Amino acid sequence: MNSGRELHLVGLSHKSAPVAVREKVALGGDELKEALAALAARAGVGEALVVSTCNRVECYVYGESLEEARHFFLSRTAEADGHLYERSGRDAVRHLFRVAASLDSMVVGEPQILGQVKEAYGLAAAAQTAGTYVSRLCNRAFATAKRVRSETEIARGAGSVSQVAVELVEKIFGNLRGRAVLLVGAGKMGALSAKALRDLGADRILVTNRSPERARALAAEIGGVAEPWETLTSLLALADVVIVSTGAPTYVVTRDLAGQVMKARRGRSICFIDLAVPRNVDPACGEIDNVYAYDIDDLQRVVTQTHAARAEEAIRAEAIVEAEVMAFAQEREARAALPVLAELRRRAEQIARAEAERTLSHVGGKLDEKGRRSVEAMAQAIVNKLLHGPTARLKEAAASGDSDLPGAAAELFGVGDEETHSPRRRPDADTGPDAHPEPRR
Amino acid sequence: MSLLVLRIAALFYAGAAAAYVLYFARPRHAALATVGQWLLTAAWVVHAAAIGLGCREYGGAEFFGLRGGLVFMVWLGAGASLVVQRLYRIPSIGAFITPLVLVVLLPTLFLVKPDFPEVLPEEVRRPMLTVHIVTALLGVALFAIASLVAVMYLLQEREVKGKRFGALFSRLPSLAALDQLNQRLVRSGFVVYTVALLTGSGMAKVVWKSAWQWDPQQVSSLVIWLLYAAMVQLRHTGWHGRRFAFLTITGFALVLGSMVTLNVLPAGFTRHGGDFSGVRK
Repeated sequence: MNSGRELHLVGLSHKSAPVAVREKVALGGDELKEALAALAARAGVGEALVVSTCNRVECYVYGESLEEARHFFLSRTAEADGHLYERSGRDAVRHLFRVAASLDSMVVGEPQILGQVKEAYGLAAAAQTAGTYVSRLCNRAFATAKRVRSETEIARGAGSVSQVAVELVEKIFGNLRGRAVLLVGAGKMGALSAKALRDLGADRILVTNRSPERARALAAEIGGVAEPWETLTSLLALADVVIVSTGAPTYVVTRDLAGQVMKARRGRSICFIDLAVPRNVDPACGEIDNVYAYDIDDLQRVVTQTHAARAEEAIRAEAIVEAEVMAFAQEREARAALPVLAELRRRAEQIARAEAERTLSHVGGKLDEKGRRSVEAMAQAIVNKLLHGPTARLKEAAASGDSDLPGAAAELFGVGDEETHSPRRRPDADTGPDAHPEPRR
Repeated sequence: MSLLVLRIAALFYAGAAAAYVLYFARPRHAALATVGQWLLTAAWVVHAAAIGLGCREYGGAEFFGLRGGLVFMVWLGAGASLVVQRLYRIPSIGAFITPLVLVVLLPTLFLVKPDFPEVLPEEVRRPMLTVHIVTALLGVALFAIASLVAVMYLLQEREVKGKRFGALFSRLPSLAALDQLNQRLVRSGFVVYTVALLTGSGMAKVVWKSAWQWDPQQVSSLVIWLLYAAMVQLRHTGWHGRRFAFLTITGFALVLGSMVTLNVLPAGFTRHGGDFSGVRK
């Protein structure tokens, strides 16, 4: 681009920096908005976008160099130095598209990142640092992510243990409306899964633990009801999904207990999810009709499978990203080559040449070859200097798809002819200004 | 003429089956399921036209033959599956039902030799007979769909219990949904079949002057009815899931078995299937 502006990216992510550095750089909400405004206020920065999640902080600058983006990180912490990666132009565009399409995520294909990029764009728009270029870029990135999601199977399967648990429960019970989830023990992963199951529509979450205080605390945290440990058997008769994660060294749910519980349940299905190591649920429980028992290895195996399958799909996704990056660049170039610009320059050069010739025909005899050339050069220089500003503006407007400015320019300079589009052009605009460029006698 | 229209209907069924199976293979293309549904609806309408034309051609006597019975049963089954699709929105069921519909319909497209009496005796031309035929065939169609759903249940249960989580796991609906659908199909099939049994014995009384004759058809129908009655009852005492699915499949196997044996047995041994020798005496 002649205007010298392009997209620059400086960032760090889970791939380049340890969490100790990432958390020093990460910022959210109002803090981010202020940082954006400060960034955009610096010279050489046209537009800016900052994506900040727990796994990455990336600063995109549409401007003259990536120094400003570097500065953004180094001003936050000097430790960032050495963990930063830098991209410019098409590589920066590709990077954003890959991030939005979840190809650069820790868990490839995870769905949250697109929302986070959208949020980043929303913040940039609110801070008024997202101009036409960044808007266009982001929309393309969203479209790319959508294409990747719908045309590949990259988002298929469950990417984490609690997601696998949710999927399993869904396949057994459908939705969980009217069903109860029982949390046995106070493990962290168990609480996570219980929350995920509540999102699936579980009406009641019961929590039980050997220590009543911890049961109460956990129940309060996830919005459940604490029940005494002694009632475990009757709780099992009540709950449909049981998540077990106690620190007990033996089976808390034995095959005998499960059989007893199934009698009390009159055969209604029950699903045990055993997240504890060593295991708390006897795997033999799964042999009983309508009892489904899974341990952490079962769930972890699915996660591993999913990751392998996603890695394969990622190859197809990369091709989509590449095509979109190309299309984005081409679109931008096509817009830059707006005919009005060419026409403006052609007219001006025509005038310059004509004026130089006229002058030379009057006084050319008194000048030597060098003098003649300086006159021609002067005319050319005046044209160039005069058109430099408008050219830069028009290119910028063209690159960002602004059609008003080219239209106005066409009208102003009287070059609004066949191939140029100027929505505001009046019919007489073709003929009227034509007389103007004629030199005065 | 009716045969030509029936063949056109079969083409639509084939299209619907293809769309549903493709959908099952590639669930990302949800449009395929919609296409399948529309094709199935179209097939059903054309099929209805074929049956109507057939009635004009054969005066309704065709339903006393195996071929006419099958044609009509397939139509009822396809209609029932359309209703199920409307109510439950489980398009993957289509991938199981439509191919079966097509397979059952296929022989009727080429078996054109009439296998039914040319004229129906006056005595049996009663509304009760129409009700009997419709309910008997609809009952069997519902039992057939129920057994397919039970097969789906067992397949999915194998995935879920066996911790396989493969292609079938993601494509088949949840166990709860399949179990519930199975139960409802068995229950409604049972109600319809009960009506068929009652009207059947009503007709027996008209034709043979006695409602019960130890006729093989009657005996097997009663056994089937008892089995399904037991299933409906067992459901209340906690029988569901795997065991219920096996029962459903057993029940339908019995239905199929009795249909085949009764048609293979020499004519005159059974008085069902349009053999009204008893009437003519």
